[in-house]
Parts: sequence; structure tokens; C-alpha cells
Amino acid sequence: MMRDDGMSEERLDELIAQLADDYNAPPETPREEIWAALEAELRVRDGRRGAVIPIDRGRPAGAQGFHRVAGWAVAAAALLVLGVGIGRMTAPVGSAEGNQALAVSPAERASLVHVATVEHLGRSESLLTLVRADASTGRVDPHVRRLARDLLTETRLLLDTPQDQKGDPEMRSLLEDLELVLVQVVGAEDSEVDGKRDAGTELRLALQGMDERAVLPRIQAAMPSGPGLPGT
Amino acid sequence: MTDLELVERVRRGDQGAFRILYDTNVDRVYRIAYRMAGEDDLARDFTQETFLRAYERLGQFRGDAALSTWLHSIAVSVSLNGLRKFDRHRKRERPLEGAASVSGTRKGLEPDVRERLKKAVDALSEIYRTVFLMHDLEGYSHGEISEMLGIAEGTSKARLSRARAKLREALGDTVEECV
Repeated sequence: MMRDDGMSEERLDELIAQLADDYNAPPETPREEIWAALEAELRVRDGRRGAVIPIDRGRPAGAQGFHRVAGWAVAAAALLVLGVGIGRMTAPVGSAEGNQALAVSPAERASLVHVATVEHLGRSESLLTLVRADASTGRVDPHVRRLARDLLTETRLLLDTPQDQKGDPEMRSLLEDLELVLVQVVGAEDSEVDGKRDAGTELRLALQGMDERAVLPRIQAAMPSGPGLPGT
Repeated sequence: MTDLELVERVRRGDQGAFRILYDTNVDRVYRIAYRMAGEDDLARDFTQETFLRAYERLGQFRGDAALSTWLHSIAVSVSLNGLRKFDRHRKRERPLEGAASVSGTRKGLEPDVRERLKKAVDALSEIYRTVFLMHDLEGYSHGEISEMLGIAEGTSKARLSRARAKLREALGDTVEECV
């Protein structure tokens, strides 16, 4: 049917049908990439709330139960002991604080450090995945930045543990590289605060450095392949 | 498994159920996000945000509409808000460049006509463009659109009609000449 304006409905339908293949035509859905980012964000959010961590690495349906608060509690306790240990190691010789014995043996302390390190790497992996997902926007969500700052502190805490408790140069190297990336992520925030608005540049540099040093693959390789933290 | 059963399983903490919910709906969510955004990065962000919001608001799902409809309505809302936030919509709503010169275009320039049509779609205001994309390009029914956008079915039809009229107007009689 012809219209007053000279174009038939049929002709318009035909053009619109062509447009469906042409106008913002969606490519194949990047399912796994989106899932990874979604999973990381949920981990961060639920971790921040100290609640159940609902998503576990995108395993097939029914393959995993949820991580529970216990995992975070164990890791938090480990970091607490670790922090006390560092305080003891750095206290002046002969001081009351330095002479106060810890209620854990060296073997137990090493085990706690291991648990804390694994948990720390797990959260760092989630965070870095999320940062990568956010990088396209040139911004990092405020709560992600806060978490990055917390992880930066914990990374330094782990790096400051006496060498004989770690005895693992590869882990130390990984933590140092992780620290560098986290410094840049946190720095992105600072650049915004300064009004420079170049957080995107900072993030790109952080991701570039992360890729060059294969930080994520090394984190994944350093973590046990099981469902989560021991006892969770 | 019904939508309500699936949602209940997710709410109880069944990770596998959430993955099922995701797998079942992610393609349609990504498609509508991409149609609206026209960029992969934005479409990914909008898709992720859609599922995050859905996860956090599962308690609000009553089963009155299909779970997919509920999710797609979140996707449309997230995409529209996201586009506003990124100030990209303003660019889309620029006046058509050289629209007046369309008339008299040489015959046989079909790709050029399609390009004109794309620009005309970009130039549609948000309410018309959204209904047009959902109905004519993504194949949603007016009933589905009305549920997703929270408008009457008649409003959806009217908006589509208006959108098509604007497209026809923008193209003028050029299209007939090109056939």
C-alpha cells in the first residue's frame, strides 16, 4: 500500500527486515567472560557483606556448594595471627610485647599463613577479574577500590612475614607483582581525586603490567584446584 | 522446573540454579543490551548489571510475569540508564546530518539507503527507539513490551507506529526511487 509520503508499508517492512541484520547486530554472546565478571562482582559484594559467597568459579550446575562464612573467618583469624606475629617480630628486643609468646607453634603459624595466602589470592583473583571488566569504562567502582586498598595492605602484611615462614621465592615474587598491580589500581582512584581524570590510563597500565607478568595465571596456579578453602 | 522453583532455589543459595538462570537468559539479555548500546563493552556491562540486579532483587519476583520477561525488563532499564549515564544517548539524538539532501539520491544505492535508515533510527527519541528495536528488530510482541516497559499495550503500538512514521518521514520518497 502506498502512503501519502510516497513509501509503501511493504517497502518499509523490507528495509526494516534488512536493518535487523545490520543495525547494532549482536555478535555471539560472550557468555563465559560475562559470567566471570559477574561471579567476581558477586564475590566482592558478598565478601564485603561477610555473607555467603554465592558463586563459585562458574562450575557446572550442582557441582559446588557455596562457600560459607567459615572460610572468611578462618582466613581473617589467620591474618590476625599473622599480624600479631609480625608485630612480635618487629617489636624491640626485650620489650614486653616482644617477649610475649604467641599461642601457636611455628608449624601452626605456617599453616595459617598458607590459608591466609590462599584466601588472599582468591579474593585478589576476583578483584583483578572485576577490574579488567571495569577497565572498558575507564573507571573502577568505589567499593572495588576500597577492596583493592584492603588487599594491598594484606599483601604487604604477607610480604612482611619472616622468610622462614614462607620459604617460597615464587610466592614472594607473585605477591610483589600483585602488590604492584594493586598500587596502580588504588592509584587510579587518587588520580581521579586529584581531578586529573586519567583513571583509565592508570587502569590500562595496571592491566598491561598484570598481563606482562602473568599475574592472574600465576595466582590461579598457586591456588588449590579444590572447591575452596580447607574446611569450608 | 517452574520459574518460581528456580528462583526459590537461587534464593536458598543453590549456585547451580543461578547458573541455569544465567544460561537460559543471557543470550536474550545480551542481544537487547547490544541492540540498544551498539557496543560490545557496554552490552557486557549492561548484561552483567542486569544479572546482578536480578540476583539482588529475586525476592521481588512474584511470578506474575515470566522470569525471562522480568529479566528483560531489568535489561532494558539498565541499558537505558546506562546509556544516559554514559551520555551516549545525546550523541544519538543529534539531528540527521544532511537529511534534506536525501531526496533525489541516485537509484540503486541500496547500501546508502540502509545507512540513512540507521541514522534515522539513531535519531529517534528514546521512547520510540526502544519500542522499535524491541518489536521490529528483536521480535518482542506488544504484550511483552508493555510488561517490560510498564506501559499499556496500546501505548506500545502507538509508539511503534510513531517510530515508523518518523523513519518514513526521514527517508522521504528516496526509498521508492531506489527500488
